[in-house]
Amino acid sequence: MGITRRQFLKWSGVSAVGAVAFNGCLIPEQELQIESPVFLPEDLVNGIDNWYATLCRMDPEGCGIIIRVVEGRAKKVEGNPDYPINQGKHHARSEAGLQALYHPDRISEPLAREGDAHVPISWDEARRRIVDRMAGMSDRSKFLLVTQPLRGHQALLASEFVKAYGGRSMAYETLEQVTLRRSILEVFGQERLPVFDIQACKYLLSFGADFLSTWVSPVKYSRGYGELRQGSSRRGLHVQVDPRFSMTAANADEWVPVKPGGEGVLAMSMAYVIMRDGLGDQAAADALTGGGGHEALSAFSPDSQQVRDATGVEAGRIKELAHAFADPRNRPVMAIGGGSAGAHTSGLFNLRAIYSLNVLVGSVNTPGGIQFNPPPPLPELSTTDVMAMGVPASYREWKEMDRPQVLMIRGVNPVHGLPADANFRAAVEGAEFVVAFSSFMDETTAMADLVLPEHTYLEDWGDDVPDPGPGYQVIGFQQPVVSPFHAGTRGFADELMALGRALGLDLDSRLGLANVTDPTMEDLLKSGAEKLWEVDRGSVRASSFDGFWNGVLQRGGWWDTGTVDNSGIRNISPLDTAWPDISISDAPGGRAFNLVPFVSNSIGDGHLAHLPWLQATPDPITTIVWHTWVEMNTRTAEEMGLSKGDMVVVTAEGNRTVEAPVYPHPAVPPDTVSMPIGQGHTAFGQYAEGVGVNTLSLLAGLTDSSTGALAWAATRVRVVKSNLSIDIPRFEGNQFAEEADEQAIIKITKPE
Amino acid sequence: MTTNRISHKWGMVVDVDRCTGCQSCVVACQAENNIPINTEDVFRQRRAIQWIHVERYWEGEFPDVRARFIPVFCQHCENAPCEPVCPVYATYHNNQGMNVQVYNRCVGTRYCANNCTYNVRFFNYWEPVWPESLRNQLNPDVSMRSRGIMEKCSFNVQRLQKAQRVVEGQQGERLTDEKLKEGNYLPACVQACPTNALVFGDFLDPDSQVSHLKEEHLDGHGRGYKMLEHVGTEPNVIYLKKVDIHAKEVVKGHA
Ligand code: SF4
Ligand code: SF4
Repeated sequence: MGITRRQFLKWSGVSAVGAVAFNGCLIPEQELQIESPVFLPEDLVNGIDNWYATLCRMDPEGCGIIIRVVEGRAKKVEGNPDYPINQGKHHARSEAGLQALYHPDRISEPLAREGDAHVPISWDEARRRIVDRMAGMSDRSKFLLVTQPLRGHQALLASEFVKAYGGRSMAYETLEQVTLRRSILEVFGQERLPVFDIQACKYLLSFGADFLSTWVSPVKYSRGYGELRQGSSRRGLHVQVDPRFSMTAANADEWVPVKPGGEGVLAMSMAYVIMRDGLGDQAAADALTGGGGHEALSAFSPDSQQVRDATGVEAGRIKELAHAFADPRNRPVMAIGGGSAGAHTSGLFNLRAIYSLNVLVGSVNTPGGIQFNPPPPLPELSTTDVMAMGVPASYREWKEMDRPQVLMIRGVNPVHGLPADANFRAAVEGAEFVVAFSSFMDETTAMADLVLPEHTYLEDWGDDVPDPGPGYQVIGFQQPVVSPFHAGTRGFADELMALGRALGLDLDSRLGLANVTDPTMEDLLKSGAEKLWEVDRGSVRASSFDGFWNGVLQRGGWWDTGTVDNSGIRNISPLDTAWPDISISDAPGGRAFNLVPFVSNSIGDGHLAHLPWLQATPDPITTIVWHTWVEMNTRTAEEMGLSKGDMVVVTAEGNRTVEAPVYPHPAVPPDTVSMPIGQGHTAFGQYAEGVGVNTLSLLAGLTDSSTGALAWAATRVRVVKSNLSIDIPRFEGNQFAEEADEQAIIKITKPE
Repeated sequence: MTTNRISHKWGMVVDVDRCTGCQSCVVACQAENNIPINTEDVFRQRRAIQWIHVERYWEGEFPDVRARFIPVFCQHCENAPCEPVCPVYATYHNNQGMNVQVYNRCVGTRYCANNCTYNVRFFNYWEPVWPESLRNQLNPDVSMRSRGIMEKCSFNVQRLQKAQRVVEGQQGERLTDEKLKEGNYLPACVQACPTNALVFGDFLDPDSQVSHLKEEHLDGHGRGYKMLEHVGTEPNVIYLKKVDIHAKEVVKGHA
């Protein structure tokens, strides 16, 4: 009996059959052979396992995964080879979903606040208390639902719930992609994030986007990057313009350390050179400058002192970059930008300038360049209301939001992640009633009056319309791969539907489920899937709906590679040629440094700080684990009398301080320090609490003037040596690893 | 050894030019092989266990500076220095090109770790502990090690053994690249690696990707090399050189 990959996944959808597939009836030949008197025990063990396809919910990227289940327990996460986003690959963060499922600190039953403590209550009682509060609210607009950005049917459900009730909702993301989304909308006219075709690109210019590690869709981009490097006989090049030597910068052929905030000026200056030297697309140049040509951009000439001051990059270098980017021999070329490049008071200006470079050289709607994503196949999943659920609120919106009377928070931790100025803590304290759907007692959950423990995604139903998609329509399906580990947890969506019924919101008929008694998320998904079945195209087609439903669960989703959007840009929007306002918050005393915070390759923005595998995953650049550190240039550290592990006090405007150990290395610009975000938890379980410091607490809360997004890279800090020193936990030094005299460990060659 | 069995020589090809240092392979290995949680203390003691780990080397000074990454794991040496020094034969070479560690023979002398050229053997200085609930994740196909036992990369021998039972034993077919992929039998690190920097396969199968890469890069004039090959360990792992546009020819980095 031959098992093909396809069958292997097919069986995965139906539990009983999978077991048969992996447990054939013949006697395994090799077990009868005596191989050696010292056989490894592994040689003799055989488990019966099933693999189920579902979705990863550890990151917004939303990969398709398969889970190995043995005797009802989830054992291993791997990438779903069929799923269009990640095609069988996955990140360390996906792997650790199992530790969230079996975490010793998971909340296993509903809790209600009594004085300073939380005491267990029943689900019936919990629901009764919510309904009491919500039914009796005089001003329903004072109900606020805060979730992570939601997509697919969960977004539809939450949006309908909030509308039917008459409340409000906001999506929370620690380092919101608000400015990125706005720049994509303004430059390309696209509401959905585009495809960055790294795989086919031959010259990739990235401004601040840590796309190999944490930015937007890193597994997809890493897959493409492997191909860019060695997928064809012509090796692609990668240049990283970045104030920090990130993991992505470390992989680039050229790293251009730019002054924080000057990324947009650099891109404008490149545009100036490209136009002045008659390179690029003439019509596009006219459209971008309203016919003014390079003269319109003369303020950004690389020879001007102002450009030099803003970017810290020599004129010659800027010209080289511009010429390389516009050189037809380097095609296809692509410029991408995000991360710290968009996290300035001039964030939108920066990203618009960067993405416009693609317009200027004709890298839009081409292989190896920027391509657009079509809307999802089910129109109800892309209405303005549903799309809005997927867009995080800007920092300014958090700061200026109307204080809620009843606050319902789901799966996010703004009390830890939002800088103090947003006063989110006060909003929680000020609310009369706070409900938190959460699996863990994090800082926000700990403040709730009512704590409702959720299923993890491995125990629950869901779906996803990935954003960015792969360039064609995809709906991923998430199914429970194990039964709930704790008897006392429930699905968020199921509970929201039940609440809707108890409140008499008539949610079921709004969702088209009026003919189902007490519908659940599974029913909602099925009704969506039924419409998808009727579309009758794409990767799964079947004569019966049951067949189709089984099919999408087995393959982990539905997609149609024929649905590409070739429309291109309808109107080229002109560049903003006025000099941008680049403000930096500053503090007195000590030696001044630009602070570049960054998202951790393992614990992300901190939402994964509770998982021991990820805490113990070395940072790629420093190999540090279980900590927060300050990266400083080796020479600068020497000047300040600092060595590895010396504690420093880092002070920002408003006397905000944190204390962390210094890690000097040669790739930090001398006037810059960088620190990972995500640690410094006072709650969030045994593996997160007391580890490191909260870097975001340093931020003064500057925002981009047009989008209101947090300018998290626009901070100057003062660094002063303290008299403490620690041994920073790290992998480096664990093993003796030095280049031998005779032979290099890493051998290097020049390109052919 | 027994007859009528298909012979294999398992090995890897690692493309250093693809590797980004992302650590996906490291965590995939932790998950598959029941590797104890590396606590903060364990790192401070320099006793963390990572069968596959990523080494980072610096070169140059700001602004002309480079960091390079390389995944390192047991090289499954044909001429393994770790093997002859074990007084109880707990580490030996099997007939498929793999260096194998037999936990229940190991008495913890640590001679093998001292003798390994690549620092890829790890000793359990402490009894590994998991909170009760996290034990649910542990892989039933992989032995739990206890205090005093040496461990290291096994090429996921548990997956290979199962693959051979199913594909060669039951189906009577050769275990090819395709079969390894279809059944999810590839080592966990290889499955995970987002950039496809890691390629696993059978050097005795002339159609395998590793054989092709070996032919192109090692036997031919490509980027292939074996790590510290002058030591004479004859690893079953081939690395493909990092490409650097600034390289004059072959440059050496430093730690
Ligand atoms: S790499 Fe080390 S542990 Fe592996 S076979 Fe060679 S000497 Fe032994
Ligand atoms: S997973 Fe692949 S790219 Fe990432 S560190 Fe490991 S070998 Fe390198």
